[in-house]
Amino acid sequence: MSDRYFYSTAAKWSFVGFTVLVLSTWIASAGFEHVDMALFGYYIAAVICMIGMVVRLTLFFARPATSQVLKRSLKQMKAEKKRASKAVAATTVNNIVLQKFIWERGWYRWTQHMLIAWGCLGSFAITFGLTFQWMRFDLIDIETYQIVVFNIPTIKMAAHGLFAELVYNGLNITALMLLVGVLMALYRRINDQDVKVTQRFEFDILPLLMLLIVTVSGLLLTVSYVFFGGFIHHELALFHQLTVIIFLCYFPFGKLFHLPVRPMAASVPMNYREVEADETRVCAGCGTRYATDNQVEDVQAILQAQTIQLGLSDGTQLSDYCQPCRRSMRVKMQLNLMNGQLPTHPVDTNTGMSMPGFGRPKETKGEAKDETPVR
Amino acid sequence: MNKVMYLEFERCIGCRACQAACRECGDHEGLERNYVDYIDFSENRQTFPMICMQCKNPACAQVCPANAIQITPEGVVLSASEEKCIGCRNCTFACPFGIPKFDFEKNKMYKCDMCYDRSKHDIAPMCASVCPSDAIRFIDHDEMMQLRRQRVQMNMIEGKKPSQDDKWNYVPEFFGVYSD
Repeated sequence: MSDRYFYSTAAKWSFVGFTVLVLSTWIASAGFEHVDMALFGYYIAAVICMIGMVVRLTLFFARPATSQVLKRSLKQMKAEKKRASKAVAATTVNNIVLQKFIWERGWYRWTQHMLIAWGCLGSFAITFGLTFQWMRFDLIDIETYQIVVFNIPTIKMAAHGLFAELVYNGLNITALMLLVGVLMALYRRINDQDVKVTQRFEFDILPLLMLLIVTVSGLLLTVSYVFFGGFIHHELALFHQLTVIIFLCYFPFGKLFHLPVRPMAASVPMNYREVEADETRVCAGCGTRYATDNQVEDVQAILQAQTIQLGLSDGTQLSDYCQPCRRSMRVKMQLNLMNGQLPTHPVDTNTGMSMPGFGRPKETKGEAKDETPVR
Repeated sequence: MNKVMYLEFERCIGCRACQAACRECGDHEGLERNYVDYIDFSENRQTFPMICMQCKNPACAQVCPANAIQITPEGVVLSASEEKCIGCRNCTFACPFGIPKFDFEKNKMYKCDMCYDRSKHDIAPMCASVCPSDAIRFIDHDEMMQLRRQRVQMNMIEGKKPSQDDKWNYVPEFFGVYSD
C-alpha cells in the first residue's frame, strides 16, 4: 500500500463518516434544535473515535490477506446467494450473537465475554444514540413520554411505568453487566497461569481497567443522585465524561478493535467450508482431501501478493500439498530422500539464513553461493 | 534468548515423549502442538519430530486476514490471538512446514510457540527437555555449529550421499530466536 493510497483513502472515508454523522444529527435533532450541549464532549470524542476507526480499518483492509476475504465474500455472495446468506446468518447467530465457540472454551469465559460484549454494545448504542441525537424523549403530557427516533415519534410510555424505568436505566443495566464481566476477566487475568504466558499489560489488562473506570464512574453518578441527593454529581459527571472520552480515543487502537473486525468471521463458512464434505481439494502428494479449492486459491493469491515464494520446481505450490506431506517433504529434503520436485526459493527463518534442509534453493553449481549456510 | 533449537530427524525413535511433554506445557491446554510422523511408512518405520521453525517473515501471519498471529520481541511466532482469530485456517494451508493446528470446537488456531514461558527464560522447551535420543535439542549456537561440522565431516546423510560441493545443504536444521 502506498502512502498516497492510505492518506487519500483514510481522508476520504473520514470525511464521509464525519459528514454522515453531522447530517444524521441535523436530521434527527430537527435542524440542531434538540442538540444537548451537555453531551458535546462525547460528540467530539465519538468523532475522533470514528476517524481512528477509519484509519485502522484502512490499514487493515489494505492488507492482502484481509482484502482477499472481502473479494472472496463478494464473489461468493454473487455466485451462491441462497447458500451464502444462509451460511452468513447461521454463523452470525452462532459466532457473534451467541458466541458458542467461547462456550467451548469454558462457561466462565463465555459468561464474562457475553457480559462485556453485550454490555459494551448496549452502552455504545445508548451513548451514541443520545449523543448524536438519533434518539430522544419528548414529554407529551405530565404522565407520558414519547421516544423519538430520527425525529420520528414512536412509542409512548407512562413516565413511571416499568418500561420507562427500564429505558431510563438502560445505561445502568449495561454498566452492571460490564462491571461483573470486567471483574471476572480481571480475576482470570490475574490468577490464570496459562493466560499469563503471553498476556501484555498494555494490550490485555489496560482495556479492562479502562472499562472498569468508565463503568464505576458511570454507576457512581446513579449512586450520587439516588442515594446522596446529587452529592458531587457535577464533578462526577465531568470525571465520567473524561473517562469516556479517553476510552473512545483509545478504542480503535487497542484490544477492543476486535469488535469491528470480528464479524469477518461470519464470512468464513460461506467462503470456504461449512462441513468437512465441502473439502474438495486433493493433495498433490498423497491424494487426500484437505481443503477447499477457494481457500487454496486465496492463500496462493495472498502469498503471491506478498512475494512469499513457496513454489516447487515442478510448478506446484507448497499449499497444493496437505500438512503431513509438507512436513514429510521438509524432512526428506534434509535427508536427501526427495526425488523430483525441489523448492525454488529458500524460506526466511529466524536465523537470518536460508535453511539447509527444506528451504534449499534449486541451484546449479557455482550459483547462489550467498545462500550457503555459515560454516 | 541465546540458544537455538537443533533437530536431527533420524535420531527420532518414535517414543512421542515430546508430544506428551508438549501437552503439559503452560498455555497449551493439554493439547500437543508438535508432530511425530513417519517419513515414509511404506518404506520403513523411521519417524521424525516436527516443530515450528519460528520464521522471520512467517507465511502463516502474512496470510491471516485478522492479523491475529503475533511475533514476540524475541521473535517467537505465537498462536493466533483468540480474540482476533476468525477461524479461517488460512495459516494451516500457507505454512511451508505444515505446523499450525486448528481446533474446530473452540474455533481457534494453535501452534508451537517454543514453550514461550520457558524459552524466554532460556529454559529448554518441553519437547527438547524430554527427548531421550537428542533428536530435539535446545543448545548454544557454538555447540550446534560444532555438531553440524561433525556431521559434514562424517557425511552423515540418510539418503543419497551429496557431493563435496553441496554436502552443507544436508546438515540438520537449527532455528529458534538466536539473537547474538
